[in-house]
Amino acid sequence: MVGQKMTAAQVMAEIERDVPFYDESEGGVTFSGGEPLAQPDFLLSLLQACQERDIHTAVDTCGFAPWPVLDTIRKYVDLFLYDLKLMDEAQHRRFTGASNELIFSNLRALSERGHNIFLRVPIVPGVNDSDEHVRRMGAFAAALPHLKQVDVLPYHHIAAEKYQRLGKPYELPASHPPSDERMAKIVQILQEFGLQVKIGG
Amino acid sequence: MPMTTRVARLRQQSLDAAPAISSERAALMTKFYRRNEGHMMSAPARRALAFQYLMEHRTIYIGAGELIVGEKGPAPKATPTYPELCCHTLDDLDILNSREKIPFAVSPQVRQVYEKTIIPFWRGKTMRERLFAEMTEKWQAAYEAGVFTEFMEQRSPGHTVLDDKIYHKGMLDFKRDIRCSLDRLDFLNDPDAYDKQEELEAMDICADALIRFAERHAEKARELALEEQDPQRKAELARIAAVCSRVPAHAPRDFWEALQYYWFVHLGVTTELNPWDAFNPGKLDQHLYPFYEKGLEETLTREQAEELLQCLWIKFNNQPAPPKVGVTAAESSTYTDFAQINTGGVRPDGSDGVNEVTYLILDVIEEMRLLQPSSSVQVSKKSPNRFVKRAAKIIRTGFGQPSVFNTDVVVQEMVRAGKSVVDARCGGTSGCVETGAFGKENYNLTGYFNMPKVLEITLNNGIDPRTGKRIGLETGDAAQFGSFEELFAAYQKQLNYFVDVKVRGNNVVERLYAHYIPAPFLSLLIDDCIARGKDYHDGGARYDTSYIQGVGVGTMTDALSAIKYHVFDHQALTMEELLAVLADNFEGRERTRQMILNKTPRYGNDNDYADEVLVDVFEAYFGAVDGRPNTRGGTYRINLLPTTCHVYFGSVIGATPDGRLAGKPLSEGISPVQGADRRGPTAVIKSVAKMDHVRTGGTLLNQKFAPQLLADDAGLDKLVHLIRTYFNLDGHHIQFNVVDAATLRAAQERPGDYRDLIVRVAGYSDYFCDLSEALQEEIIARTEHQSF
Repeated sequence: MVGQKMTAAQVMAEIERDVPFYDESEGGVTFSGGEPLAQPDFLLSLLQACQERDIHTAVDTCGFAPWPVLDTIRKYVDLFLYDLKLMDEAQHRRFTGASNELIFSNLRALSERGHNIFLRVPIVPGVNDSDEHVRRMGAFAAALPHLKQVDVLPYHHIAAEKYQRLGKPYELPASHPPSDERMAKIVQILQEFGLQVKIGG
Repeated sequence: MPMTTRVARLRQQSLDAAPAISSERAALMTKFYRRNEGHMMSAPARRALAFQYLMEHRTIYIGAGELIVGEKGPAPKATPTYPELCCHTLDDLDILNSREKIPFAVSPQVRQVYEKTIIPFWRGKTMRERLFAEMTEKWQAAYEAGVFTEFMEQRSPGHTVLDDKIYHKGMLDFKRDIRCSLDRLDFLNDPDAYDKQEELEAMDICADALIRFAERHAEKARELALEEQDPQRKAELARIAAVCSRVPAHAPRDFWEALQYYWFVHLGVTTELNPWDAFNPGKLDQHLYPFYEKGLEETLTREQAEELLQCLWIKFNNQPAPPKVGVTAAESSTYTDFAQINTGGVRPDGSDGVNEVTYLILDVIEEMRLLQPSSSVQVSKKSPNRFVKRAAKIIRTGFGQPSVFNTDVVVQEMVRAGKSVVDARCGGTSGCVETGAFGKENYNLTGYFNMPKVLEITLNNGIDPRTGKRIGLETGDAAQFGSFEELFAAYQKQLNYFVDVKVRGNNVVERLYAHYIPAPFLSLLIDDCIARGKDYHDGGARYDTSYIQGVGVGTMTDALSAIKYHVFDHQALTMEELLAVLADNFEGRERTRQMILNKTPRYGNDNDYADEVLVDVFEAYFGAVDGRPNTRGGTYRINLLPTTCHVYFGSVIGATPDGRLAGKPLSEGISPVQGADRRGPTAVIKSVAKMDHVRTGGTLLNQKFAPQLLADDAGLDKLVHLIRTYFNLDGHHIQFNVVDAATLRAAQERPGDYRDLIVRVAGYSDYFCDLSEALQEEIIARTEHQSF
């Protein structure tokens, strides 16, 4: 295992070291995971500290958290990187182990409140890359009142090795990264919904 | 634009030509000096007449298809020697001829001329012999121990760069200026009037000599034109003849004349003597822009301008660095002669200096992919991102060029050192990273200085443990020091002592050059030598700086940090124990070594504990050197760069407290110890920026990136941000190697397949396969960043 336990003050000290780089590149901190919303108090104190210091914040989340958690942190977040995986409720349960209902309602709620959101769509061949499914995602995204951009992320195998190190079975080994042509087609479908789309990110 | 057939052929010829020693210059100098031995003649007059003799009698070479003409030797890569400074022995010649890396072919005829004529005449008379004879015992002891090196023992003080003056003035105009200065001489009140007259008349002879040299090229071109069958080439030769008759006598009128003029001046400077850093045109984009703009309105096309520039590039590449003898062969062995062409920067009024010729030159750099001339981009806060990104695209191709400089800091450095703001803006960087006021300054590098060696001597109470000789001060038994401050005070005392020894030597060397080897041709190019009637070597330049280049900042910092942390703060081991394991080169004490390597706060990680030590190391060195007067009316300054000297300096030091084993290279430039930086390039930049670059005359930071990191546009943007951030933090210079370790390993195994692999060494690029094995290993050991 790698990683270490740190206090919020220690994390902030690390973040502040890179302020000259954020200032130059108009960058900032991205809280990702795991799932940052799984540690809501810790996340909140870091977000508040960043806002005091004028550091841009992004939260990379799957959106699966009680609304009050999101509602507490949202005013300290400059940008949400919000995962969108599967439109179908049953499929979503099958592949992620959870319903997508809460995820969608949270997303709508954030969007209605005018937050900056980038939707993050991992494209896993054979799971969510069919034209039909991509159209469903497009229609859903286009119906959101406020959305900046959709990032489509070609699936990759990087996690396989991590699973191995953790001694867990990796259950998607049969999937291959989607081809460049396929990715281009997916972008085209989404663009037809009037969305701003980018590959990778 | 793809290379024209002509350029492709000339470029290939340049790459294929094997460097060889030419005895022509040495033989002509010998003949001249022998003929004039015993004549009552001032030193400037002798040097000027020698220069004239050379320019009148040396071989004129015009190669097939060339547009820019003239070579330093009788043919491309035929390399002249300078026996009046340093005469090669037969052994030297045999080594040059047979050594595996950086060989120079020595023909039996050349060897014979050396044996029969050159060596017998110059033995006992050279600058090198005189210089060593003048040095004190203390100097000799420190020099032999590897505490410092001496730059002027076989090459003359150079380290200067031309400004825009030749684009406005011909040699005939310089002659008029000389005449004015002569007319103003006051023999009644100025005791130096006669010396000034001798110097000015010497400059005048040199101006004529260069005009004559060009005219001989014009004659040769006309001869070739007569025999030429191809009408197109015939016309080109006629044009070459016309250009050579016009410049350098008169100011250039077009792009072609401007480039040819510079090249004649370059050959003049590098034939008169073998000055360090070869000389270079400086801010070529700004100098050429008026000719380019005007040319486009007339008959010039972008393609023609590009081809002419490419022809100039090939000319630079045809001139290997003068081959050395003795210790410096190990210090710095390369064909590269450190001509560094600047692009970008700011104009004299402070506005952005980037123009269309800047982009043209960047295209040429990328297409030519040659060792010489080296190239840099000067980035100010006013530089457009397009410029920085264009440079980043070339950097990505992985041959180490261009290097990147911070104009705003370079200007600040010069203003701090007393230069006018306008002179500072017209200046830039040359050689590796050295700051200077182009066309107006003599800024000598005088030698590398081995900081970790001084620490080693301090830890041994003045004794060099390698030889057992006492060469330093008795600063006390290190085991008795009760605090880090006591140790540091002892180091500072030792440091000041060795800087005293070095400076005393320098101040003699400067006078030797001023008295015996003036440079009247170079003098007429550098303000204010004509106005003052003074030689470049004798305080004629408007600004005069002597640099001593500190080496091993990273090793020093980690070594002191290790002592502070483990001996004084945490008492993990005693000083006695530490000294014992160092004496044994950590033998049988690998655990101690690993503890030091892994538990010490180390430089390059944005760790304040280590970086505070860095600042101490910097301030101590700055305090020991900066502000001392030199003999030319100028001042000593520091810069921090190693070329390849960190390898030589490492070879003379035993194990160091940072866990480095005996004989291994020191850290390079101001970079962290190889592999010590573990927190990515942003942490390196934060650490490195904690020293005050503005009070130096240049620092050198090397960074190595995995190629895939810069593969896409987003990667390039990040590189641009990294550079800009470093410069916001007042960093002086940064350069990049973009090549992975696997490639370098493969090149070591199969050098034949990787002949053209070029890497960044330290302030210059070189063919990887030409580097010594120690240096190859050092480059591989540098930390390779896999992410930003």
